[in-house]
Amino acid sequence: MSEPIEDFLGHVARSLVANPEEVRVTRSERDGAILLELHVAPDDLGKVIGKGGRIARALRTVVRASGTKADERRHLEIVE
Amino acid sequence: MSADPGGPPAAGRAEATGETVGEAKWAALRELERRYPGLDKEAVRFQVVSEGERGLLGVGYAPARVIAEAPLTESAPAAPPPNEEPGSGAARLRALLEHVCASLALPASIAVSEDEERVSAQLSGPDLGLLIGKRGQTIDAIQCLANAVVWTGEETRKEVVVDAAGYRDRRRTALERSAEGAAREALESGEPIPLEPMSSSERKIVHLFLQARGGVTTSSEGSEPERHVVVAPGE
Repeated sequence: MSEPIEDFLGHVARSLVANPEEVRVTRSERDGAILLELHVAPDDLGKVIGKGGRIARALRTVVRASGTKADERRHLEIVE
Repeated sequence: MSADPGGPPAAGRAEATGETVGEAKWAALRELERRYPGLDKEAVRFQVVSEGERGLLGVGYAPARVIAEAPLTESAPAAPPPNEEPGSGAARLRALLEHVCASLALPASIAVSEDEERVSAQLSGPDLGLLIGKRGQTIDAIQCLANAVVWTGEETRKEVVVDAAGYRDRRRTALERSAEGAAREALESGEPIPLEPMSSSERKIVHLFLQARGGVTTSSEGSEPERHVVVAPGE
């Protein structure tokens, strides 16, 4: 079952890209932190990063805040 | 479905969500009163759309959803019809915020309204400090995403505002106070005074406030996320 933060990332990404069917979110653990990877089609990378990186920065801020209650460090990487 | 398309709406309607049915009712009632001041509260009827799921630590959480409806009397002016049909800006904003609240494990109530200029959401509930974040960085990030997501593929691009627990009002007061302080300092010293970095919507508040105040000129300098207002003496 996917976590709410994964659903959130998928929801935002699918609203922005031209190829929503290629959006995928994976989750792994590394050095005691949670790494969330948002996969999008190569053509859509710019859309989820945004002008000057604004969207990516905003997504990272929400991902970080989402770990607060569970006392978990969470990071986001955006990948093709 | 509800009102005659041509005539005035027979009833005011607002939909809201909350952790419990009670909270959702309360949020829907507040939203209804905001849209139709002077509304007869005795006449409000509630319709529970969904009871919601409590979930555990935000997993499986689904908010309760309630519609409040009241007949419009003459003292309650007809507001624009509530526009929360699937696919509307208001519905997209609500969907985004439901995802955000579930992600942060926050059982907040969400009230959304849309008029000609903007779509805005008010969140209420416990622990909203987490949603606002240090110096508002989390709520500003959410608002930035909302502005990007709500209008993808649409021609209209109204402003999208996300507010929680009256944060935007308090922030405006603080921004105006620091703008006034910078203006005085610039006039006393004769030197340009930089303010702290701000989002574009906050810089706009500062520019407009100081324009109305007079005596100083303002400009924005630097690049995001360090872009900030500089206040210089002189008209």
